[in-house]
Amino acid sequence: MPELIKVRPTKIELVKLKRRLSLAQRVQKIVKDRLSILTMEFLQVARETLEAKRKLLDELSKLYRAISVAAGYHGYIALEKELIATEVDLKVTAGLGNVAGVRIPSFELVGDVKPMKGYNLVDTSSWLDRAAQLSEESLRAIVELAELQRNFELLAMEISRTKRITNALEYIVIPGLQVTINYLNMKFEERDREEKARLKRVKVLVARG
Amino acid sequence: MPKPLQDEVRQSPYEKMLQECLRGELRVVNAGLPQSPKLLSNLLNEKYPHAVCNDGSTHFFKKSELEYLASLLDIEEQKALPLPMLIELGANQAEAAIICEGKAEEKVISKALNMPATCEEKRIRIYKPQLALLRRKFRTTTVYVFSPKIVA
Repeated sequence: MPELIKVRPTKIELVKLKRRLSLAQRVQKIVKDRLSILTMEFLQVARETLEAKRKLLDELSKLYRAISVAAGYHGYIALEKELIATEVDLKVTAGLGNVAGVRIPSFELVGDVKPMKGYNLVDTSSWLDRAAQLSEESLRAIVELAELQRNFELLAMEISRTKRITNALEYIVIPGLQVTINYLNMKFEERDREEKARLKRVKVLVARG
Repeated sequence: MPKPLQDEVRQSPYEKMLQECLRGELRVVNAGLPQSPKLLSNLLNEKYPHAVCNDGSTHFFKKSELEYLASLLDIEEQKALPLPMLIELGANQAEAAIICEGKAEEKVISKALNMPATCEEKRIRIYKPQLALLRRKFRTTTVYVFSPKIVA
């Protein structure tokens, strides 16, 4: 049950309350629009995160298998010797975007990523090439998942915050204003009726002389 | 001589709070709008493609998205496509409108959604499922706009 706002029962207060109500309704409209967009984005990001996770797991399992085969073919020591010289620094560009007021990060791998390339092609087999190719794909999938995961968290936090504002407006502020406006309207009508009855009574008394 | 009472002075703290809330929400949702949009052809030549937003922050564009956009358009059209593309939300929640200045936006939208898109009154109207598809393809090259007239 919404609570009455304590105000003086005057016409000026009634006008003020009506103004407040229309303002609250405008705020509610914009917050609701924002919530609907955030929810839509959240659901989309959730679906994409799930897909990206599945893709990453697939890529990693393929990579693990390819590296196992390559290690079996070359031997661990020879493989390690080949790969030790191939380490490269990865460059990731990070920036911020904006979705309905939420600052969300976006990451992108810069240039051609060749984390395992650079080994001697004469001494190695195509198994290692396959592993190198899969490692590139896994890296891209990791970066993509990192971005989506963070977006997912940020959007979820913003949705819960916006929902609290919407609920406060919908269940407390606006009903409270409406109830108070109704109360004041009834009070004024009652006052009018009392005034009419009083005037009639005075008229009768005057007529009696 | 006493000054006449102004609206600001007459407002109660409660009204001020609501007014601030409305202003704050509008400010927050439109903070990501660019101060001045950049052309696709210029962004393609930048090392870190970005645009400066209303709140002074930067909006980052993914190179892969820019390259995809460039693949959809010819060189002249690339010079006519301002980015980010603005998606305006209508009073009707079922649809949204993409603000378009020229034919380049029309071509991008119709190719990305694989359907004919026509520009009416500088707006291309699309439905929500199409909006989701568009956002998926152009996550950093599109931004939402909340117009005050919608909420009025």
